[in-house]
Amino acid sequence: MKGQRCLSVVLSIAIAAAAVVGANAQDDARRDGRELYLDFGCHQCHGFEGQGSQASPPNPRIAPTPYPFEAFAAFVRTPVRLMPPYSPNVMSDEQLRAIYDYVAAIPEPPGIDDIPALRDL
Amino acid sequence: MANDDKSDGLNRRGFLAGATAAGLAAVPLSKTTNVDAQESNRASAPLPNSMDAAMEHEIPGGYTGEQAKNYFVHHPGSDFMVDVLAALDLDYVALNPGSAFRGFHESILNYGGNRKPEILTCVHEEHAAAIAHGYAKVAKKPMAIACHGTVGIQHAAMAVYNAYADRVPMFILAADHGGIEDRTSQVLWTHTARDPLSPIKDYIKWDDYPRSLQHFGESAVRAYRYALTPPMGPVGIIMETVLQESDVHEHGLAVPEVLAPTLPLGDPNAIEEAADWLANAESPVIYADRFAQDQEGVDLLVELAELLQAPVVDQKGRMNFPNGHHLSQTAGVVGQADVILALEVRDIWGIVNRLQDAPDHTLTRAAPPNARVISLGTTEVNFGSNYQDFTRFYAADLPIAGDAQSSVPYLIEALRERISNRRASQISERRERWASAHASRRQASIDAARYAWNATPISTARMSLELYDLVKDKDWALTAPDNLHGSWETRLWNIERHYQTNGTSGAYGQGYGASSAVGAALGHREHGRLPICITGDGDTMYVPGVHWTAAHHHIPLLTVVHNNRAYHQEVMHVQKTAAWRQRGVDKGVEPGNIIDEPAIDFAALARSMGVFSTGPVASPSELRPALAQAIDVVEQGEPALVDVVSQPR
Repeated sequence: MKGQRCLSVVLSIAIAAAAVVGANAQDDARRDGRELYLDFGCHQCHGFEGQGSQASPPNPRIAPTPYPFEAFAAFVRTPVRLMPPYSPNVMSDEQLRAIYDYVAAIPEPPGIDDIPALRDL
Repeated sequence: MANDDKSDGLNRRGFLAGATAAGLAAVPLSKTTNVDAQESNRASAPLPNSMDAAMEHEIPGGYTGEQAKNYFVHHPGSDFMVDVLAALDLDYVALNPGSAFRGFHESILNYGGNRKPEILTCVHEEHAAAIAHGYAKVAKKPMAIACHGTVGIQHAAMAVYNAYADRVPMFILAADHGGIEDRTSQVLWTHTARDPLSPIKDYIKWDDYPRSLQHFGESAVRAYRYALTPPMGPVGIIMETVLQESDVHEHGLAVPEVLAPTLPLGDPNAIEEAADWLANAESPVIYADRFAQDQEGVDLLVELAELLQAPVVDQKGRMNFPNGHHLSQTAGVVGQADVILALEVRDIWGIVNRLQDAPDHTLTRAAPPNARVISLGTTEVNFGSNYQDFTRFYAADLPIAGDAQSSVPYLIEALRERISNRRASQISERRERWASAHASRRQASIDAARYAWNATPISTARMSLELYDLVKDKDWALTAPDNLHGSWETRLWNIERHYQTNGTSGAYGQGYGASSAVGAALGHREHGRLPICITGDGDTMYVPGVHWTAAHHHIPLLTVVHNNRAYHQEVMHVQKTAAWRQRGVDKGVEPGNIIDEPAIDFAALARSMGVFSTGPVASPSELRPALAQAIDVVEQGEPALVDVVSQPR
């Protein structure tokens, strides 16, 4: 019984530690993704939160991303409109994936009903 | 009806010939408006006859006649010049002082009493010209600016080019030391030119170098009329220094009667044919750029669009159409057009085609291949060729030269004659489609605005819409374009009245936003409106001193600096170019493009010139109180500035 309890405690600690490690890894990945997002200047057209802009030229919202990775990647590599192409020579697949994971994880903004200036338009 | 006319022999070739011969002639317009305009602008020279009497001057006590002649000037020519400006009903002259027009300057103050024109003190001639630009569009009348003939004109040049490209009248006075006997130092030689207006000659409508006061008066009236005849534009008159400063020797000086010009109408037969095309079109689309000159123009366009249930794309050269109207649509509608009506549109080629900004410059046609284009406007009454603001040539299927706003009532009348009840019923079926598209687009914009709402830097949506929430029940007027900060005003502010926006710069020259706003705000002042200028940090830094003019003259104006700390468009251009060249951006694209390190403190800058200011506002939660405080100041009659550290776009 005592042995079981010890095992349980050890397992709990291990799970908690794994969770922390997992969370830290996620944070690191998110931080790396954000850094790449800024380094590559994605925010210059799409905004710091990926919100997009209708300013000239108009740029689509990319976060929280409504696109699957494949579509996102295809648009970055072979854009059809105003965006320039980011080839693998300048942005690796890994970097592209990290950027995608970052923008996909940007939290949803508040709803319209929670923003008086928009709710009352 | 038009078909009947054509059977009488008025075919296409016939009316084109007519357009050249008659369509541009000064035709009296409506029975009331133009006549009223003429009457209200009928002015007579106030003082030239009294000038004659005054020439018999008294000799001051203690001086011989010879001494008095050497020492004193009794009735300088520049007094007459002030009379001429008063006759032209020019309320203001914006100037940075210059010795070459010291005589004129003194006459405004001591002869004219600094009224009509009243001096607006500017710290740079570029401000003076931009103030005149913004003012004319609001006040519906030109402002004069006065400059040194060489250095002053060169300083003013860029802002004059904006006004030219925007087809806005401006009355430019340039001083020059014409005679060598007057050039008392090398400075004056450097401030003299054989053709002082040459730096801006490619983009003014007309200029003259009068050799006598009578000549000055006549040329000033001619210039005024040319400036106000569509297409409007800046004009220039030289004020020669000896003419300003010497006693008047001319007898019988008179200023010609000042009448507002009647407006050139489109050829009536061409308008009939346009009505045929539009009445029978299944999917007509209207584009308007510099169309509406006042609220009447807006109301006419609403009437025309509703008659056809045709979507209107407002290109925003002027406020042409209410953005809340269900027929207010965006450029994508051209893809559905069978007939396109372009009203005072400068770039018709750009409506019909898309030329992609990419290494291969892909060209595609945006309009359906069979879409026919009717152009109505004065854009082809061009008066310049060096500067290429006329854009790429497009051969419209039915080009009608004439002032569009003045011609549209006749188009509406012709359409009413052609649209039967049955046809009207068919046309009305279009309504639902456009209403639905309009509502969807508006809802999408509201939804888009919530993204990054709580972000730092502050989103452009929040910057614009928190402000709107504070002013929407006030009598506000926007003074600057919104295309560089998300076009949120166009998308979600309720823009109904012509004065609520003030068009674009014309030539996209930096410094327009902040400085034209001061002129626009001056025009709004007498109406008690709340003028608002949202403009960039780059634009502001071209003309920071203009805020001093606003403070000095107590011109109420709320300036919101969209401070993204960069020439952001250029950031994107260099970044795009680097991507095309596969060089990446890891070395950064900031040098040459960012305005940071140190960050400019716009609030401190404004404060140093006597303008109430807050900022830098970096936190979203600080934005609303900062804006509210600034609005209070403006409502008390003074300028205020809020520096908002914001997202790039």
